[in-house]
Amino acid sequence: MKRDRQLLVLFLPCLIFYIVFRYGPMFGLTIAFKDYNVFEGILGSKWVGLKHFIKFFSSNDFWLLFRNTLALGFFSLIFGFPVPILLAIMLNELRVKWMRKSIQTLTYLPAFLSVVIISSMVIDFLSPSSGLINKLMAALGFEKIYFLIMPEWFRTIYVASDIWANMGYEAIIYLAAIAGISPTLYEAARVDGCSRLRSLWYITIPSLMPTILIMFILKTGNMLRIGYEKVLLLYTPTTYEVADVFSTYVYRKGLLESNYSYAAAVGMFEALIAMIMLLSANFISRKAGGKGLW
Amino acid sequence: MVGESKLNLFGVINALILCCIGLMTVYPIIYIFSISISDTASVVQGKVTLLPRGINFDAYLEVLKDKRIPRAYLNTIFYTGFGTFINLLLTAIAAYPLSRPDFFWRKYWMIGIVLTMFLNPGIIPNYLIVQGLGLTDTVWALVIPNAIWTMELIILKSFYESMSSQVRESALIDGASEYRILFNIVIPLSKPALASIGLFYFMGHWNSFFLPMIYLTDSSMYPLQVVLRDMLIFDDGAKTGLVDAAALAPQAKKNATIVLSMIPVLLMYPFAQKYFAKGIMLGSEKG
Repeated sequence: MKRDRQLLVLFLPCLIFYIVFRYGPMFGLTIAFKDYNVFEGILGSKWVGLKHFIKFFSSNDFWLLFRNTLALGFFSLIFGFPVPILLAIMLNELRVKWMRKSIQTLTYLPAFLSVVIISSMVIDFLSPSSGLINKLMAALGFEKIYFLIMPEWFRTIYVASDIWANMGYEAIIYLAAIAGISPTLYEAARVDGCSRLRSLWYITIPSLMPTILIMFILKTGNMLRIGYEKVLLLYTPTTYEVADVFSTYVYRKGLLESNYSYAAAVGMFEALIAMIMLLSANFISRKAGGKGLW
Repeated sequence: MVGESKLNLFGVINALILCCIGLMTVYPIIYIFSISISDTASVVQGKVTLLPRGINFDAYLEVLKDKRIPRAYLNTIFYTGFGTFINLLLTAIAAYPLSRPDFFWRKYWMIGIVLTMFLNPGIIPNYLIVQGLGLTDTVWALVIPNAIWTMELIILKSFYESMSSQVRESALIDGASEYRILFNIVIPLSKPALASIGLFYFMGHWNSFFLPMIYLTDSSMYPLQVVLRDMLIFDDGAKTGLVDAAALAPQAKKNATIVLSMIPVLLMYPFAQKYFAKGIMLGSEKG
């Protein structure tokens, strides 16, 4: 019919886009099983089976990357997850309206800054010579710390800057959930002589629980999708041992050293784990709350 | 709850902690700004801690003299404007058929689209496709491979679905084509939704550094973020702090660059707040 044809015409660019740029790369992944050669292309290169996977799994890099990716994801989740919830609850408890609005606006600001800017601020603040933190520590009589070249500091820096940048943004969902709680519950509680703290404990937190649960499950599912851009900007060869994650390794091996096939194999392994985690998280969240992300 | 003005310990402590958090969040930004407009002597002696000292705009003049930055700025404006336009156009026309219950194979298209959210083959195959199509070192490399974000497509589709179908149906009876209905009725009516997903696209382009970094080799095409990265992070050992003397003097200049790059984002901030929040909520609900 004419109308169907018109709709199809409108849909065509989208279809082409998904085929070429979303499904195309999936077929491009076959190079993980080949020795990719620029001149022969993806189709023409020779099949080598699992060679690259075996090489990767038997190398020391594998465990290092596995540990680092998991650790960064895990620490970001454990320390980063509760902060927006606390922030939202505290903001909600703040009764002075203009103050609540302005603090919310302020904490929300870093979400608009780019990773490059956030990373450069981190570097600036931690710099041993001119950084504020080191100046403060010097004033208190401590030694200078070369934060960014010391492996033991990397995770702390990564997680802390993540919290700083994202707490206001992530608090929005919880604030909205709190706004959805019926005021009659609070009124009834007050009539019954409930203090603010008690109504917080018995009404706000339980009402937030479903949202918290779903967000937690989804975050767990996304744990491996850590912000590799920030890692890329903040790490140095001296901190590779704790900072190098699958994506940064893929970038270095693949794009900087042109080991396309090997890097594609690593990337495929990462994608596989990430997919399994996300699918199971979604499955659990459907079971638990009746509402998945999809 | 509301109207209770009794001052209590809990409320006071809560307010104090929140003020600290608020200050901690903006402090780095104010500090960066203050350094950028203070005079060199105060910066070098470390006198600037919060407010600027000896106000001057030398650092900004210096930055604008450095050819790389004005050019990168213009590049970013172009990529962001053009990219966001393409994003919105493609998302808007794709969401329309998908929002129509009677659209041919609609269910299967949706499954195919949603599946791509789980299946992400990674950097290398994407890079090879872009390279294979000859897009490297062109604007298209930044625009086409991410022309539609699945999440934003789904958000817009649900928005279209929630619109009243009466106007559309009366236009159908009048014999209007689907194109006319989309461009003259549906799109004008979905401005709030377009504004909110447009903001995400805008921010994505303005702040993107990884894709331009891998797809552009010609440094005259670099957008601001890539130049910033080269200047702020990979420059003169600033990162490790091992080259102390060299890192000190250009600090004001670096910060002026940061401030310049933040201006458009900060200007959009008041609008962004409204629409961004809406977008996040839509995304979290409908997904």
